[in-house]
Amino acid sequence: MVLVLVMISVAVFLFVVEWIRIDVVAILIMVALPLMGLVTPKEAFCGLSSNAVVSIIAVIIIGAGLDKTGLVNNLVTPVLKIAGNSTSRIVTAISLTVAGISSFMQNIGAAALFLPAIQRVSKKLKIPMSKLLMPVGFSAILGGTVTLVGCSPLILLNDLMAQFNLKPFGLFDVTPIGAALVASGITTFIVLGRWILPQTETAEVVAESEAKDVPDDSAADIYELHTPSDYTHYREPITVGDLRERYLVNVVAIVEPPDYKIVAPPASMQVHSGVSVGVFGSKSAVIRLAAEEGLELKPQLEVFAEELTDQESGTVEAVVAPRSDLVGRTLAEAEFEGRYQVTPISLGRHDEIFRSDIANMPLRVGDVLEVHGTWKRLHYLHQGGGLLFTTPVEIEELKKDKAVFAGLWLAVALIMVIVFKINLSVCLMTGALGMIITRVITIDDAYHAVDWRTVFLLAGLIPLGMATEKTGTAAWIANGVLQAVGPTSPIVLIGVIALLATFFTLVISNVGATVLLVPLAINMAKASGLDPRMAALAVGLATSNSFILPTHQVNALYMGPGGYRSTDFMKAGVVMSVVFLVVMVGMMYALYGV
Amino acid sequence: MTVITISRGSKSMGMAVAEHVAETLGYECLSRAVLLEASEQFDVPEIKLAKAMHDAPSILERLGHRKHSYVAWVQSALTRHAARDNIVYHGLAGHVLLKNVAHVLKVRIVASLEHRVAFVMRQENMSAVDAEHDIHKMDKGRQKWTKSLYGVDPTDATLYDLVLNIPRFDVKDAADLICQCAKLPQFASTPDSKRDMADLVQACAVKAALVDEYPDVAVTSKSGNVLVYCAAGDRHGRKVRSRVESLRQSIEGINNIEVHVGASPPERAV
Repeated sequence: MVLVLVMISVAVFLFVVEWIRIDVVAILIMVALPLMGLVTPKEAFCGLSSNAVVSIIAVIIIGAGLDKTGLVNNLVTPVLKIAGNSTSRIVTAISLTVAGISSFMQNIGAAALFLPAIQRVSKKLKIPMSKLLMPVGFSAILGGTVTLVGCSPLILLNDLMAQFNLKPFGLFDVTPIGAALVASGITTFIVLGRWILPQTETAEVVAESEAKDVPDDSAADIYELHTPSDYTHYREPITVGDLRERYLVNVVAIVEPPDYKIVAPPASMQVHSGVSVGVFGSKSAVIRLAAEEGLELKPQLEVFAEELTDQESGTVEAVVAPRSDLVGRTLAEAEFEGRYQVTPISLGRHDEIFRSDIANMPLRVGDVLEVHGTWKRLHYLHQGGGLLFTTPVEIEELKKDKAVFAGLWLAVALIMVIVFKINLSVCLMTGALGMIITRVITIDDAYHAVDWRTVFLLAGLIPLGMATEKTGTAAWIANGVLQAVGPTSPIVLIGVIALLATFFTLVISNVGATVLLVPLAINMAKASGLDPRMAALAVGLATSNSFILPTHQVNALYMGPGGYRSTDFMKAGVVMSVVFLVVMVGMMYALYGV
Repeated sequence: MTVITISRGSKSMGMAVAEHVAETLGYECLSRAVLLEASEQFDVPEIKLAKAMHDAPSILERLGHRKHSYVAWVQSALTRHAARDNIVYHGLAGHVLLKNVAHVLKVRIVASLEHRVAFVMRQENMSAVDAEHDIHKMDKGRQKWTKSLYGVDPTDATLYDLVLNIPRFDVKDAADLICQCAKLPQFASTPDSKRDMADLVQACAVKAALVDEYPDVAVTSKSGNVLVYCAAGDRHGRKVRSRVESLRQSIEGINNIEVHVGASPPERAV
């Protein structure tokens, strides 16, 4: 038991200080436990074959399939149409949609999906991003509680309960509580938004001043220029990078003499005399470039009429994903342009659009990159760039014709769960397999889509939960907590468990909190006569109560674009956490009579 | 149409050479005039600016940032003068500040230690030991100053287009040689080199406007696209940004201005 306590302490310590990545901590635990004789080798690796891990792999593949067909993305336009111009309606419509998507996809994917659309709405209607993003982000987290596959802790729950021989939860058993949490979350922002959301005076002022002083780049387009025959005579060589630096105009195609056309030329490429150059920029900037450099501005695309048409190439917005390899690195360090042969146009961060020297800006989670390139190249970038594409509809490879199959296999998986009551992981894997067989997604894309960090985080921590239970550590801690709390009613105990889960999820990861607390909560419930399933459910739900600090992936993603500070999350997060706990405990009392 | 910067070791007759060159070419000879202009514009006593330009910052001064401000103000005044062309500048570190402008002829005047000691003994009426000590102290101070400001060693010959050893040439010969070089086509101003100079003037003006409040900023400018680099910290960045926005009115020719927080400034940034 002492060894288990040491392992728990080490795990918690490493989760908090983050000296090494949390998935590596999980693997460390997975290896250390059998070496210390706390679990058998078979038990140590049983997490890898657990229902939770299989379910999360299947959910990710299904999500990727839906994403590939543009099925989910197609919701954006109608939702925004319904939302109209009112801030409350926009917040409600987007939040409900994101929560709905989040109940079947990873929360972060749902949150990223709407980010650029929210940015457009914010600019168009002059509503600060900070008023929109936090409610939507919180709804994405809350949406994870609507079904049993909405978030990792709930996916994990049945596996952790299995060792206690408790009846597993069904896919929609949590839906009434999750739906109430989503509704209460949105209502909180509608009613109290003006007090708990930041008043971003600075952002508005900057947005206004930008609108006044900066050339209108909403009209940015493709233009073709021609250099004079003496362009490079008696002067230092002019490069693609020089033109970008001086005029904020991006060269997206160029002719290398005599007639070799290059799309997305590198910044170091020289611009020769008597050649055609395809550029992307605002009209005013392109006119300025043409005038100052003595280039001829063509009335329409001539040389690049084929390469730069909408069918061949275009511009997309992509968000730097949490855990992306790009985080903390610059585009130059990542050799972004050379590797993917695309042209970064601008970088959006904190209500600001950067256009100068963006190749040397260290990237952060939530940064929005505008990138131009051929659809083929953008597709490669989509596959391997560590970016969440927010405008995949433009990509040629989008399998719109497979949308029916994607929807069908999702429906098949749900019917298998609801009607035939087959094991959740089997149903979800059937749906995932169906998408692969009907070529919604290739098997390689499916392998690529799986977030192995999440898989190993889950698989690595499952044996720690087993060891906690097996060695009697969970029972020992549970008795200690119960003695400290004293005799309490079941509803108060649920409240205490939910509070503990809320605290742990803020300090360590939600998966770590679930693994440690579920055995503990079940033991506490058994000792005090509470239904152990309810205690486990309280942990599974309350680990989504992660609003006070921007540690949750969704909060981290939205922090940059929303221009939030940690104190903003604390202010709104405290209110949301209290509402969450009250609604969750209240709903459990009302529905299950705890 | 050339700008000549003359860097000199202490007591190496550089000032005399600079004055002779200016007189021969009919150029403006600049050193103190830059300090006076900066003193007037930024309302700082000239003596403080002169001290800031002459001595490397002490440990205490490094903690504060006043010296940074003085240097930035002098640099702004110098680039404004240099943009007018036909000047000879013999103040400190002009060659490093103007190094990326093609029509700037960068000259270094050196003299042997014996020659310099003899000169100081004559001028200051002191012993050879004291004179040598003083010269070493001044050389070390200038080296330290240039290194702390630009990260380069002023005695590195690769920083210059021309290095002249005074005992081998007298002042007149040295000046004649410099005048000949200044007439070479590669040192004539071109539209491109003038544009580089205008960029530098603008970057220095922006830096001078910000440095007192935000001493850690670095600035670049290219054709009116100004980039302000500041150390990590979004709140700090927001403050800089709102201050920077106000510069659009006071500094001419700004087309676009951005504040990059946490990004490393390029080597050419001021």
